[in-house]
Amino acid sequence: MQDKYIDLETLKQEMLTCTMCGFCKQVCPVFLDVGWDTGSPRGRMTMAYGLITGEFEPDETFRERIFQCTQCTDCYRRCPSSAKCPDVVLAARRELVRRGFINPAQTKLVENVCNTGNIFADLDVEFPEQNGEIPLFIGCQHLSRPNNTKKTIKLLQALKIYPKIIREVCCGFPLAIMGFEKEHQEQKSRLESIFPMNGDPMITFCPSCLMHLKKEYGQPVQHVLQIINNKLDDAPLDMIGKTVTYHDPCDLSRGAGVIDEPREILRKIGCDLREMTHVKKESRCCGGGGGILTWDESLSDRMGMARIAEAVNTGAEMIVTSCPTCEQTLKKSARNYAEKNSTKPLPVRHILDLVIKAIK
Amino acid sequence: MEIIQKRADQDVINTIASIVGQDRVRTSKADLYVYGFDAGMHRNCPDAVVRPSSPEEIAQIVRLANRKNFAVIPRGAGTALCGHVTPIAGGVVLDMQGLNNILEISSGDLLCIVQPGVVCDHLNAALKPYRFFIPGPASSEAATLGGMVATNASGAKALKYGATRDYVIGMQVVMPTGEIVRFGTKTLKNSSGYQMEKLMIGMEGTLGIITEITLKLAPLPEKTAACTASFQKLLQAGQTVADIIAKPIFPAQLELMSEMCIRAVNKATGLNLPEADGMLLIACDGHPEAVNDEIRSIRQLCDKNGAFHMQYTEDPTQIEALWRGRKQMIPSLSALKPEFSTVMLADDMAVPISKVPEAVTGFIEIQNRYDIYIPPYGHAGDGNLHTKVLLDPENPDHWRQAEKAVQEIYDLVLKLGGTVTGEHGVAISKASYFKQERADAIPFMRAIKRTLDPNNILNPYKIFDWEDSFLTHLRYPVEL
Repeated sequence: MQDKYIDLETLKQEMLTCTMCGFCKQVCPVFLDVGWDTGSPRGRMTMAYGLITGEFEPDETFRERIFQCTQCTDCYRRCPSSAKCPDVVLAARRELVRRGFINPAQTKLVENVCNTGNIFADLDVEFPEQNGEIPLFIGCQHLSRPNNTKKTIKLLQALKIYPKIIREVCCGFPLAIMGFEKEHQEQKSRLESIFPMNGDPMITFCPSCLMHLKKEYGQPVQHVLQIINNKLDDAPLDMIGKTVTYHDPCDLSRGAGVIDEPREILRKIGCDLREMTHVKKESRCCGGGGGILTWDESLSDRMGMARIAEAVNTGAEMIVTSCPTCEQTLKKSARNYAEKNSTKPLPVRHILDLVIKAIK
Repeated sequence: MEIIQKRADQDVINTIASIVGQDRVRTSKADLYVYGFDAGMHRNCPDAVVRPSSPEEIAQIVRLANRKNFAVIPRGAGTALCGHVTPIAGGVVLDMQGLNNILEISSGDLLCIVQPGVVCDHLNAALKPYRFFIPGPASSEAATLGGMVATNASGAKALKYGATRDYVIGMQVVMPTGEIVRFGTKTLKNSSGYQMEKLMIGMEGTLGIITEITLKLAPLPEKTAACTASFQKLLQAGQTVADIIAKPIFPAQLELMSEMCIRAVNKATGLNLPEADGMLLIACDGHPEAVNDEIRSIRQLCDKNGAFHMQYTEDPTQIEALWRGRKQMIPSLSALKPEFSTVMLADDMAVPISKVPEAVTGFIEIQNRYDIYIPPYGHAGDGNLHTKVLLDPENPDHWRQAEKAVQEIYDLVLKLGGTVTGEHGVAISKASYFKQERADAIPFMRAIKRTLDPNNILNPYKIFDWEDSFLTHLRYPVEL
């Protein structure tokens, strides 16, 4: 059945629900950069429908546009008909991967996850295993920074949050988002065999892991910020005293609806928050979403620089975020933006690092 | 209908690339497929998509088109609803989205000058600090000014603020034979001969390619207040609308939701709007005292005509809450029959204001004779009505039913003294009904087209030159 677009067929009604109104265009960070309609969510929906009706054959431009999507889901938020364009893109990726349209960077990432259990192929990854009250899923990104992660775990303990930490492997999110469904299912099995997914509440550091554990494993997961926020009221704190702007990670704001907590935390630790134009549910991708770093690093950087420009316009001293991928992407884009504009890079900080600094 | 192809061959495409640069020309399957659509229901692929960066480049392309006989279709954001930019005879689509600079804002002269690819909401964001704006259509967050001018677009505020036409005072145009000309002025008043800039409004890309637009500005209102009123009978709502207009009060918005729309919103969202035959949503804006007076009078008129439920607010967040039902209406209507899809048919007819209740009642009666859904709603204040036609677009029988139902709807609209299109334009999907409406004017329109575009280069086979029904070149795989 390789010649049929089975995955896409199941989403045909989504494509027909799209009235092609084009409201998605001005919120799509890819379209805003590339400018051609093939780079818009509407364009992707159009091509996907063409594939299943047989009126369109995939070509290099189609593959490029499908893999450029950052899965930021802002198109879905804005769609007056609630058409699930991000889901259609994922289905199209699965179809393309099944047909062998894969690039070397994607292959490398998939091999890393499947062979080593984490995205960086780090065979020596340290697990700060300990007993505790609530399971903590750390995630590949935070595991790759063991010193930082240890400090964060100490922070949780200082706030009387006692995480239970056991060995884990990648949740499979990168595989799913790139369209490697077979490998994703295998990875899910590997994780489930070592990490209990029994419906008990758990916490995580990573917004993408959070959404994936919720959607794919049916787990009740909270981001640590949701718990930390409540605990800070009674904690002795040093005030940071900085003017900051906050970048909402797509998975945390539009995905999990965690919007107020990071802002409350910033206020509690003495930061003066200056909002960017696109914030909260209307936040813009940092340029690191949807596996785009394995597909089009240049586009990723341009999107990141657009976000940095927004941050600079607020007059804030630093940009704070709560996702390790956003943090890394924005750091790189801040350097490139500074080089391009002959200025000093805008500092980028993870909110947890600020909280660690604020705790006495 | 025989369509004589006006295609661009590889030599032509190479020449265009030498004019605009290779990176501004696209010929991939994906690009040609995607640029075969707008937000309507028709499709046909162009031979190339080109993003020009100056009027001079456009003029060169148009002159080449006259020599080589290929079609040129100017396109903005592609949010038109009737197949306006579907390249029905092939040719070259000019994607104007890259010409998106605001060239001048002169609040003292009450004008701004923009390139055609500027998005309406982007212009309004730039005008806001000056406390001015340009009223836009419902698609203002995506639609470009060039497209708005070419279709004479308007939206819910047309009763008070008018249509795009009322704001255009000048423009630069590349004519179909390649001349770059200026029409109109930078003055608010102008009796200087034929108003050629007005001729270009609503021409749907058939008479010229707009490369610059001079627009008059409207002052941003100081205050907005809103109210809703629910009526047991649609005729009571209709009488209220007529009374408001006759007072005379021109609200910024005066929207009607029929019983079918209210039911759909309640079912889909649980908003629990009062069950009524008709609900009016009214917004007044302007000087605070004037707004207070208008709203007071409107509430009295609603009361006099038997409104059984009314709500009023001047708090911006409350206004949003009050209008939530209207905003949720489009997805809610789709949810009435989730296995059906929305197709852009009978989408924007207008009738004399007093005929709105009769039209709405008639549309519902027509719908009841068919298996498809045609819930009506609209801008009651200016008589502009919409229906949201829901059908299975891969079912030939539904299309045949839609053809009959739409004909009945337009027959009724014309009988009531209305027009087949109030704010979206004609293009393909309304061509046959437009000809029914404007039979005596068409020879003169055609004469203008033939004179200005003797080789029929610009956006051919649209408006009066579309000879078929809307049932060909559909974007759905359906045999009819």
